[in-house]
Amino acid sequence: MVSKIEIIRQMENKSELFLSVIESHKGILYKIANSYCKDSEDRNDLVQEIIVQLWKSFENYDDRYKYSTWIYRIALNVAISFYRKENRRKEIAHPITDSILNFAETSSTDDTEKNINLLQQFISELKELDKALMLLYLEEKSHQETAEILGISETNVATKIGRIKNTLKQKFSSIKT
Amino acid sequence: MEDTEIINLWKSYDKKLNENLLLNRKNVEEIIKMKAQSLLSTMKPIKIFTVLVGIFWVGLGIIVLSNIYFYAFVEANKFFLFSATIQVGLTAIALFIYLYQLILIYQVDVSEAILETQEKLASLKSSTLWVARILFLQLPVWTTFYWNESMLENGNAFLYMVQAAVTLSFTFVAVWLFRNIKYENRDKKWFRIIFNGNEWNAVIKSMELLSQIDEYRIENQTKNENFGGVKKSV
Repeated sequence: MVSKIEIIRQMENKSELFLSVIESHKGILYKIANSYCKDSEDRNDLVQEIIVQLWKSFENYDDRYKYSTWIYRIALNVAISFYRKENRRKEIAHPITDSILNFAETSSTDDTEKNINLLQQFISELKELDKALMLLYLEEKSHQETAEILGISETNVATKIGRIKNTLKQKFSSIKT
Repeated sequence: MEDTEIINLWKSYDKKLNENLLLNRKNVEEIIKMKAQSLLSTMKPIKIFTVLVGIFWVGLGIIVLSNIYFYAFVEANKFFLFSATIQVGLTAIALFIYLYQLILIYQVDVSEAILETQEKLASLKSSTLWVARILFLQLPVWTTFYWNESMLENGNAFLYMVQAAVTLSFTFVAVWLFRNIKYENRDKKWFRIIFNGNEWNAVIKSMELLSQIDEYRIENQTKNENFGGVKKSV
């Protein structure tokens, strides 16, 4: 029989492992939350909701997939369906008011910085599913991995990405001219 | 801007994030210590109250009506009896759909592929419109339950005409709403007036998402069919 101490140790190990997975993939959480929520309070709630869902399914994590694939699936699913929570703060049992992810956005006049802001703005204007696809493309996920995350064929991934990329390029060129 | 420039731009953003993004580990530890929320705790109190009132209403209706059917059917006012049966029956169906949909949404596995999960969630959420359609169907019985045989025997032409006009117009409105409450009419003014508020915004949003999913699915199928066709012809 497994002793109480052993169970506690296992739980601590599980929590530690989970924390280190989150730590090494925190950028994914930030980028997804930032693309799907404009309001900073909503963003924090979304990150919290994503972490809750990741923790809930951590036990059933299928190690045939990479951690990043697993995180993308859950985080994007939670972000896309975040609209269902009509009264978000009240639906979270104990909303954490401090930011979970802290990043000081700079308002630099530097060209790269400006373009990054434009790119973020264009991404946030995309429809929910196109946004997910674009994020995966920018993260340089292979068509196979993108197809696995989204649940569509690789050929469909290629066509869709091509279209969204063209839209982005047009938007950039309309700004520059 | 070229593809590589866009990718490089994203990489520089990623680099900045890696250097400056801080995770508040204490908060994450707090989150994972929280007990999993039950379905009930995710519902707003007003929703819980409405569902409880609905259950009470249907329960009471079933008890009262079944007693009348079993023990006092002959002497009962049939207008009241049949109207109330339709009303309670429709409310019970609407309540069942609503609760069943809530439970299924709560059970959806978010670690599945995005299109599959979103399709399940959005279809379930948009089925809330069915609840409204069914509830509107009971409109006519609210104009018939108070009638009785003596009113029918002793009434005059004016009373009959007013009653018929009211019942027919309520029936017309109920059937019209039942047929027209659908996604295609979401931009119509009457639709916006009826379905105003956060709960309904989420339903409309879920239907918009369903049409996005359809676009992806149709394209997926077309691509697969074309690919299959090419393979077959080879």
